[in-house]
Amino acid sequence: MKNHRILPLVAVVVICAPLRVVASEVKVIANGSIKADMISTNEVKSVFLEEYGSLNGIHVEPVLEKDGPVHEAFLHEYLGGTDDDLQSYYRALVFSGRGSMPKQLDSDAEVLAYVARTRGAIGYVSSEASTEGVKTLVIVNAGNNSQRRLITRVEPEYPDTLKRLNIGGTVRLQLTIAPKGNVVSVQVLGGNPILGEAAVAAVKQWVYTASHARTVAEVSIPFDSHR
Amino acid sequence: MHRQRAGLLFVCAYLVCAYLCASGISMQAQEFRLLDRTVQVHGFVSQGFIYTNDNNWLTMNTSQGSAAFTDFGLNMSSQITDKFRIGAQVYDRNLGQLGQYHPSLDWAVADYRFKSWLGVRAGKVKTTLGLYNDTQDEDFLRTFALLPQSVYPIDIRDATIALLGADIYGTISFERHLGELSYTAYAGDRRDSIYSGYPYYFSSFGAQIKSFGGLQYGADLRWSTPLKGLLIGASRLNGNITGKGSVINPFNPGGGLVPYSEASKADWVNQFYGEYTVGRLRIDSEYRRYWRNQELFGGTSESFADVRGWYISGAYRICKRFQFGSYYSRYTITNVVAGALAVFYPPATDTNLAANHDYDKVITGRVDFNRFWNVKVEGHFMNGYGSGPYPNGFYVQVNPHGFQPNTNALVLKTSLNF
Repeated sequence: MKNHRILPLVAVVVICAPLRVVASEVKVIANGSIKADMISTNEVKSVFLEEYGSLNGIHVEPVLEKDGPVHEAFLHEYLGGTDDDLQSYYRALVFSGRGSMPKQLDSDAEVLAYVARTRGAIGYVSSEASTEGVKTLVIVNAGNNSQRRLITRVEPEYPDTLKRLNIGGTVRLQLTIAPKGNVVSVQVLGGNPILGEAAVAAVKQWVYTASHARTVAEVSIPFDSHR
Repeated sequence: MHRQRAGLLFVCAYLVCAYLCASGISMQAQEFRLLDRTVQVHGFVSQGFIYTNDNNWLTMNTSQGSAAFTDFGLNMSSQITDKFRIGAQVYDRNLGQLGQYHPSLDWAVADYRFKSWLGVRAGKVKTTLGLYNDTQDEDFLRTFALLPQSVYPIDIRDATIALLGADIYGTISFERHLGELSYTAYAGDRRDSIYSGYPYYFSSFGAQIKSFGGLQYGADLRWSTPLKGLLIGASRLNGNITGKGSVINPFNPGGGLVPYSEASKADWVNQFYGEYTVGRLRIDSEYRRYWRNQELFGGTSESFADVRGWYISGAYRICKRFQFGSYYSRYTITNVVAGALAVFYPPATDTNLAANHDYDKVITGRVDFNRFWNVKVEGHFMNGYGSGPYPNGFYVQVNPHGFQPNTNALVLKTSLNF
């Protein structure tokens, strides 16, 4: 009789025992076949929600961990919602004919091994995990450009020779801006290459407002020989 | 002796539950390689039991308790290239007098996604209508054993579940934190099974529907708003539906069966919905209006049915393995018949009458033993039986002595999926 009273209580405790989640930092890794070195938070979300099937023309395959602090941290940082929400989302895709169930593995080691050997695979591991055999993607927050203000601007030096020859134009640049606000890398997207060198030298001294993540911005620098 | 048996059963049930929870039985999706491609296999099965205190519900003999509530499905799919997928699912069910274990092709698609904002699916495609139309068979995806019947009537699932045709779809992400817009537009042929609710309803008139279906087209637009967790959307569905069969001539009942036909003059659905998810709480609400104007008996009569339903629901996950929920659902139907048949069917426009509405209050508890197996216990407290010209769960054939105004129902359901 006593056992019958205790059993329901134990059953409820077993059923309701919460999982403890310890947050930890994660890094996003990819197979070497993925050409991109950077990926935006929106792209990470779209890959793992199966809205993007490819990046830069390469088929991508998301790989997840089944559970644990790394998985919880990834959900929190990139996808929002709980693991139950995510599993329901994948199942809805599977059973309505709109997607497939991604690979879900037990540990960092398994994820690393799978990503290393599988073309197009993208996964995530603990920030302390070794990433031998895979590449670590830089995550940029492209959607937040509008929030970052330029607080220090250095004007480029117009090369005398080109100015005297009335050679001007607009140089387009892509800037990668660190969380602190300094410009860590610049890529010339278009314009006169000599003017481009001058523009790059200037924008590397620019300083933006701080942000919680790296951002990418496109800027256009005009060179007007009549001014 | 009875207590000993009950105790033994309880201990056995507990041991089974404990084993399943502890072992985490391997029920992963199966996959295999074929022609250098991975093929995934998934499936589900669910079994329900319903007991009602008065009216028999959903074509089952529920006043005596009925377990004629089973469905299962199996699908295979494969990603052929980075943009091209194919797959198919077979589905079967028995719901009282409906389904009767006649399997059907649930969906079979070839899906090509050009960009995130543009994809095309062709074949037998699930219809996007509201929050849950395309996943209404997969109850393991939600808290409730039965979706609100005012918007998702399980007995006439065939009316909206899928069509043979194509759809285009996509998701557009906006800059400046304006959220995301998803769209679907579709067209094709809808074909109801003769074992579905509408032919069964018609059989109460001594009629046999041999074919029912036609062109169906529509669109859905949903906005994941900048407010995290809030989704709102709208759907529109149009149909040009024809039914053919034979029926007892109401003007000459002793004259045997005569050919019968009906055809849409106007057949459309508007549906508006919203969903808000925050933490462990989910709140849903939907409104559906179905307008059905049909020519009957080759145009000698005409029927106008205005079906309106809405619900609001809340579900909360207490912990990983237990969640509960509740919803309130309202369904009303008005009907007017014009022409020769009007003498048999006086106008039914007073939605205060039990015959023209169904108001349902529901409470549910769900237990997940692991990722693959769950059990639900659900109570329904219904007022009305909405038995107009379009069925809504209450059928004369299984209620030969007439309907009681109120029905309380206990629904038990378990499902497995992999």
